[in-house]
Amino acid sequence: MTDAALRLMDRHNVAVDKIQPLAVACLELIESCLYRRSLYLMITASLAYCHRQIQTLLQCKIITEAEVKDLCLKAREILVEESNVQRVDAPVTVCGDIHGQFHDLKELFKVGGECPKTNYLFMGDFVDRGHHSVETFLLLLALKVRYPDRITLIRGNHESRQITKVYGFYDECFQKFGSANVWRYCCEIFDYLSLSAIIDDRIFCVHGGLSPSINTIDQIRTIDRMQEVPHNGAMCDLLWSDPDPDSCTGWGLSPRGAGFLFGESVAKPFLHNNGLELIARAHQLVMEGYKLMFDEQVVTVWSAPNYCYRCGNVAAILEVDSNLNREYRIFKDSDRSSMNSRTNPQREGPPDYFL
Amino acid sequence: MMHDEPQVARDDVIKGTDDDAIISKLSAVNLGYLDDSFVKHFVKRPSRRPPLINRGSYIRTRSLDAFTEQFIKSNIPPEPTAATTTTTPHTSAIIQSSSTPTTKTTAISPIPAAGIKKQIVSLGCGSDTRYFKFKAKGLSALKYFEIDFPESTAKKAVVIKKNKAFTDIIGDPDLKLGMGGTELYSNDYCLLSGDLREFTESIVPKLKAHGFDTSLPTLFLSECVLIYIQPGDSDAIVNWVGTNMDASLFVVYEQINPADAFGAMMLRNLKARRIELPGIHAYPSLKSQEERFTSRGWQAAGAVNMNKLHESLSEQELKRISSLEIFDEVEEWQLLADHYCVAWAYQAKPQQSETYRAQLIQLLSNSVSS
Repeated sequence: MTDAALRLMDRHNVAVDKIQPLAVACLELIESCLYRRSLYLMITASLAYCHRQIQTLLQCKIITEAEVKDLCLKAREILVEESNVQRVDAPVTVCGDIHGQFHDLKELFKVGGECPKTNYLFMGDFVDRGHHSVETFLLLLALKVRYPDRITLIRGNHESRQITKVYGFYDECFQKFGSANVWRYCCEIFDYLSLSAIIDDRIFCVHGGLSPSINTIDQIRTIDRMQEVPHNGAMCDLLWSDPDPDSCTGWGLSPRGAGFLFGESVAKPFLHNNGLELIARAHQLVMEGYKLMFDEQVVTVWSAPNYCYRCGNVAAILEVDSNLNREYRIFKDSDRSSMNSRTNPQREGPPDYFL
Repeated sequence: MMHDEPQVARDDVIKGTDDDAIISKLSAVNLGYLDDSFVKHFVKRPSRRPPLINRGSYIRTRSLDAFTEQFIKSNIPPEPTAATTTTTPHTSAIIQSSSTPTTKTTAISPIPAAGIKKQIVSLGCGSDTRYFKFKAKGLSALKYFEIDFPESTAKKAVVIKKNKAFTDIIGDPDLKLGMGGTELYSNDYCLLSGDLREFTESIVPKLKAHGFDTSLPTLFLSECVLIYIQPGDSDAIVNWVGTNMDASLFVVYEQINPADAFGAMMLRNLKARRIELPGIHAYPSLKSQEERFTSRGWQAAGAVNMNKLHESLSEQELKRISSLEIFDEVEEWQLLADHYCVAWAYQAKPQQSETYRAQLIQLLSNSVSS
């Protein structure tokens, strides 16, 4: 007991033995309040920290290398708990490839609503090709850490060490941070990303498509996903395959050199056997933003407008409401996106053509 | 705005397109798509280009190489068959018959003289290395003329003159610089400076002064060149060649399809780099590319886009290039390739005896059909 308390008791002629239990209780209460307060302070500090990071990234500014490391550690704790087939509740807005087109991602949030107000599912290919892969991926990751239940990120074929070395993310990290550390942290996170998602047990979402080694959703759950994307096998196919409208035989060779082409004759049984109504996937540029196939049982959603600042396409997101009704929203590239790529070719590299 | 810009500034931008093209070509060489030991001498700062640009540079070079090789190799048959004027050559055959980058002949001598003499004229040659590449393989024409702006030819002349790799191929002790270092003259190779917009007035006299012979079968190459000048000026070239050459084959590589979403974006993006394509609206499609020639009396013409050229690669060759680097730009490639074409046309003048004309037509037709 403190001196002050003893003096107080003395003045009021209170016996120590009488007051002691009460005092102990009070002290315990005070201590617990202090603990809670420090916890509260810690949490608010951490939230403020997350908030600050998100605000910085939303301005298309990078955070420090140490902050990236910290963000990735936090993200890892969340992602490691996720299943290979992450369960997502409708309503949710499903998005396709972003490819480092940061200003167009902001346009997407304008059209679809801000996170966490809108629940989002991004089907991979956050990085490569565009000028702002770093800002794009870190923003999505920061949102994931801040609102883990309001945004789901699954892996695309570009979330890989090998591909990012060819298609820009590696170079961008090196250029923006002066070393490959940030690239390395991000690649570690890529390995933790889930491989697919399932909305209300009815809509299967995956970056690429189906695999001849997979007949049931449960088979996906058994994949050991914590690795670089392999060159073949189930995990590779999920991230690389494409639907083929011309296929009559089911499976075909992919022109990409990885994954397969899958026809209607394999897509429909897969849906039926797994009690699904739709496969939503990304991976292929669609000039109109989205494309329905196989009696509207497979859809490609593409969310990078004017892809590579060159293709002139519109983009789409798929809004699934609580009754699993589907609505597609189309959007164009942001003025900033196209303007930056054209007026600042020295800094950001102009779109390539044959001259 | 572009239109207020002085012509000189616009020309500088066009000259700059060669730097871009040659860096792309070196990128494709370094990755193993193409075999060309000469390109590296023209690039100060090499950089690796994206896979779809490498693939496009490869397809483009391979296609024009195929025309060149067949033109050099084609001969007048001993027993000429009556030539038809509506031959439809198979482009796939052209692509497949071209040598792979790995085949190499070391002999440095022209194809033996059972052959008829021929010339090649490369319009707006930039840093192109085709003459050297082919002669190193023992394939050459009687004369190979290259023409470009003096600023471009001056740079090229210096590289060639200073470098044994080039002078050995030219193999002429009398190789001379001229016109203040903007031109080079040798037995079978002439680098000439000039402005293609003044083709008939200044280029033609210059060609003739250096041994150009309008009676010889001649291949004219335009690799992303005619499209940069006004249609009136490029038409003047096609007209002059069609009217004055006894026999000629014209091969054009350039952009098409300006009106769809990708094409419109292409024009906007190029405009931001201050590059205009005045020719694209005059010849916006495969059909109009053919008609550019057929409407001017050329006997046969054809045009294919880069997708077709890509599809016509042999399975083996496709496998080889697929192994060089990851290629995940399938849809984008198809879009891009849909906006570039190779067009060709040939004609032979009726002023010859009918037999000789038939022979010439046979030769030209062989060049495009093998």
